[in-house]
Amino acid sequence: MRWDLSRRVFLKGAGLAAVGVGFHPSSLLVRTAQAAEAGTQVLVQVFLRGGADGLNQVVPYGDPDYYDLRREIAQARPGQSGGVSNLDGYFGLHSELAPLLPLWQDGRLAILPAVGNYGLTRSHFDAQDFMETGTPGIKTTADGWLDRSIARIAGSEVTQAVAFASVLPRSFLGGEPVLVAQNLATFDLRARTWRTEAETLLRAMYDPRTDAQGQVGRETFAAIQALARSPGLMAAPANGAVYPTATVGSSLRQAASVIKAGLGTRCIFVNVTGGFDTHANQLAANTNDYRSLGQALAAFATDLGRQLDDVVVMVNTEFGRTSAVNGSGGTDHGSAHCMLAFGGRVRGGRIVGRWPGLSRADLHEGRDLAFTVDYRDAFQEIARVQLGIADSLFPGYTPGAGPGIVA
Amino acid sequence: MSVSPQDIGIRAAVHLLNRLGFGPRPGEARAILSGGLDRWVREQLDPGADPELETRLSRLSTLAYPLSQTVALYGAEDQRGLGQVIDEFNTAKVIRAVHGRNQLQEVLVDFWFNHFNVYIADGFARPATPSYERDAIRPHVLGRFRDLLGATARHPAMVYYLDNYLNTVARSVGGGRIVGGINENYGRELMELHTVGVDAGYSQADVVDAARCFTGWGIDNLRSSGSFVYRPVAHDTGAKSVFGLTLPAGGGQEDGERLLDYLSRHPAAARFVSRKLAQRLVADDPAGSMVDRAAQTFLATDGDISEVVKTIVGSPEFWTEAFAPVKPKVPAEFVFSALRAADAEVTTARGVSAALQAMGQPAYACVPPTGYSNRGDDWTNPSSHLARMNFALDLAAGAVAGVAVDARAAVRKAGGSAEDAKIAAAALSADLFGRGLSSETTGALSRVAPAGSPSVAARVLGLTLASPEMQAR
Repeated sequence: MRWDLSRRVFLKGAGLAAVGVGFHPSSLLVRTAQAAEAGTQVLVQVFLRGGADGLNQVVPYGDPDYYDLRREIAQARPGQSGGVSNLDGYFGLHSELAPLLPLWQDGRLAILPAVGNYGLTRSHFDAQDFMETGTPGIKTTADGWLDRSIARIAGSEVTQAVAFASVLPRSFLGGEPVLVAQNLATFDLRARTWRTEAETLLRAMYDPRTDAQGQVGRETFAAIQALARSPGLMAAPANGAVYPTATVGSSLRQAASVIKAGLGTRCIFVNVTGGFDTHANQLAANTNDYRSLGQALAAFATDLGRQLDDVVVMVNTEFGRTSAVNGSGGTDHGSAHCMLAFGGRVRGGRIVGRWPGLSRADLHEGRDLAFTVDYRDAFQEIARVQLGIADSLFPGYTPGAGPGIVA
Repeated sequence: MSVSPQDIGIRAAVHLLNRLGFGPRPGEARAILSGGLDRWVREQLDPGADPELETRLSRLSTLAYPLSQTVALYGAEDQRGLGQVIDEFNTAKVIRAVHGRNQLQEVLVDFWFNHFNVYIADGFARPATPSYERDAIRPHVLGRFRDLLGATARHPAMVYYLDNYLNTVARSVGGGRIVGGINENYGRELMELHTVGVDAGYSQADVVDAARCFTGWGIDNLRSSGSFVYRPVAHDTGAKSVFGLTLPAGGGQEDGERLLDYLSRHPAAARFVSRKLAQRLVADDPAGSMVDRAAQTFLATDGDISEVVKTIVGSPEFWTEAFAPVKPKVPAEFVFSALRAADAEVTTARGVSAALQAMGQPAYACVPPTGYSNRGDDWTNPSSHLARMNFALDLAAGAVAGVAVDARAAVRKAGGSAEDAKIAAAALSADLFGRGLSSETTGALSRVAPAGSPSVAARVLGLTLASPEMQAR
C-alpha cells in the first residue's frame, strides 16, 4: 500500500503514524506525552467573518473627526448613557465589550486599532482568502498560514489543530490534519445497537484507500478515538465562567475544554459568523454581536484561569469598514481593522501600533482608516512566541520583529 | 470481477443521474438506460409536467401563497403562520430533490439560488425567500441569463438582503440635514458575485457608480405587501460610468436595467457564469477549454442557459469521471443522493434539515452573499464526514425524522436479497454504482452479520450510503 507522502502524516516526530493502518491507542498516549514536553503554548485565532467594524469595537472617541464621520452611529463618550468603557483617555471599548475591561486592566489584553494590508481588497471572499493564505494579491497559494504553522510543530495527532467551524477554514488549507468540528461532545458514531460492527466495517472500507476519501475517513476515526479518551472534554466550565448561548460561546467553551483536556492541541480556530457585514442599521447588529463576543471571550479567560498563561487569543476580521456612516445607518467595506490579542505572553493594557487618524488627509482613498500594522507582522509575532516558529509563514514576505504584542 | 457492457451502460446512466440530477433511485439507472440516455438528457433539458410530484406537493397549502400573503403573516402577532410557510418551503425542496422527475431543473434551482444567494433567516427575507425561489429563480433556470438576473435584481428578497432598499441619493431635507446616501452592497455584489466576477478588473469607482444606478429601487413596505417599487425621488440622476458603460445624466429606473443588460452580455460574465456551471456539473476545477466553449455558447446565444448546459454535457470532459467518480459531493448532494438511493418517502424536512445543519450546509441559510462553495473538496472534513456516516446509518434504519425508508424493499428493488449481505452488496453495487464499489467496500458489506438489529438490509444499505464511494459523484 502506498502512502501519500505529501500529507506528511506519518513522517513527523518519532516516526509513529498517528492515523491510518497501524494506529494503536497506546501510541496516541505516547504522542500526547511527547507533545506536552515539546511545548504547551496554544494559539487561538477567533475570526470574525464579514468585515467587522473596528471603529465601533474600539472607539477612538478622542479623535477630533470621529463624531462628524460617524454621526448617528457614533458611540457615546465614557460616562454618558450607553457610552464606551474608557481605555486610555482616547480609545474606549464598545459598551457590549465591557466584559473585556478586566483583561485590559490586568495587562493581559492588547489592542491594535489599525491592522491590515491594502492588497487584501474590499471583497469578502478575496480578503479572507488573502488573509488566510497569507499572500495578499496572490490567488495561487495552495496552503493556509496555519497549515504552514502546524507543519512546523513536532507531532501529528489529529487533535493538534482544532477548528470550530462548519467547513475547513482556508487558514488550514494544506496537508496537515485538522479536527474540524462543531460539537465535540457528540463526536461519535451513533449506531447504538451495532456500533462495534459499524466501526469495524467502515474502517475496513476507508483505511486502505489512498484518496481524499480515505484520508478524511481515517482522520474521522482517529478523532473519534482521541476524543473518546478524553472525558475531561465534558467537564463544566470552571471558575464560574458563563458562556453566552450563541455559537461563539459554544465554540469558545469547547476550545477551553480542549486546552484543559491536554490533548496536545497547539492551535485552535474559532470561526464566527454573525451580523458583522453591517451595510445598514449597524447599531443593533453590533450590539448583538459584540454582546455575545465580549461575553464569550471573557468567559473563556475566566474558564481557563491560570492556564490562560499558556494561551494567546487573537481576534481579527478580513477588513474594517468605511470611516463615514453611509446612507443607511451602516458602513461599507473598508481597509484597516481592529485586532485584539489577550493571554499569557501578551504585553497588555496597551494600544499597539500608531493611530493614523481620521482626518480626510489621513484616510486611505479618502474613505477608509489607514493601516499602520501589516497583519502578517502581527500574526507572525504571535506564532513565533506561541508555536516557536522562526522562519516566515508568509511566502514572499519577511516579517520584522513584530509590533510588540507579545513578550 | 469483470465489467459487462450492461455495467458500462449503467455507469453512464448513473453518471448522468449524479451530474444532472441528485443521484439514482434503485432501479432507475436501468430504467433510463432502457429508455435511452439521449432521450433522458433531452427531457431533462426541456422539463415537462410532473403530475406525481404536484400531487405530493399539493398538501403543502402555503406553497402557492403570493408574496403579499406571506409578508402579511410576517407582520402578524402570531408567527406560527409564517413558521408553517417556512417549514413547507423547506419540505418542498427535499420532496422535489428526492421525488421529482425533472432532476436537472431541481439541480439548477439549487445552483441558481446559491449563485444569487439570499439568507432566509434575516428579517424580511423570511417571508420573501419562498416567493424569491418560486417567482424569480425557478421560471428562468434553463432560460435566458438576463431574465434570471433581472428577476433577482427586482425581487424584494434581494432588494432587502443586499440593502438596496436603503440605497438612495443623499437628499437635503432642510435645516442642513441630509438623509439617505449610497449603499454599496448590491452594486458591488452584482458585479463580483452575480455577473463578471472579482477578477474582471472593475474599480472601487465602478462599484460606487453601479450602486448609484440602483438608487430608488426599493420595497413599498416591509410589513404588508412587500412589493418592489421604484421611487424616482430617491434616484441619483447624475451621469454614471460603470466598468466601460457610460450612462448620461437624467436617467431613471432604466439606469439599473441598462447596467444589467451590459453586465449580462459582458464576456467576463459569460466566463464567470460558465465556469460556475461547469464546476457544479463537471469538476471542482473544470478544464479551461471546456469553460471557454461554454462561454462562447453563452455569448453566441445571448445567455441561453440550456444551450450552455448542452455545451457542457456535450463536452468530452463531462465524461472524464464517469468510470471513476472523484468529485466529492457537497452535503446537500450527499443527503439528497442518499435519500434517493434508499428509495425514501419524504414527508417533512425535519430530520434532513438537522443533518444538513450538522454538515454545515443548512438550506437557504448561507449568511454571506457568496453562497455555498460548489467545490466538493471544500466540504471534506472530519466533522462533516462523521455527520454523513451517522445520517447514512440512521436513514437506512428508518431513524431520520420526517422520512420513511424500507431498507428490505430498497435492496430488493436494486435486485438483491434482503437477507443475504453478500448478495445485497453486489446488487447495490451494480444498481447504484454500475459495479463501482471497491472490493474492500463490497467485502466489508458482505461481512454484515446474518442476524441482529437493525436488519441485515438496513445495515448493508446504511453502510453503502456511508461508504467512500457514496461520497463522490
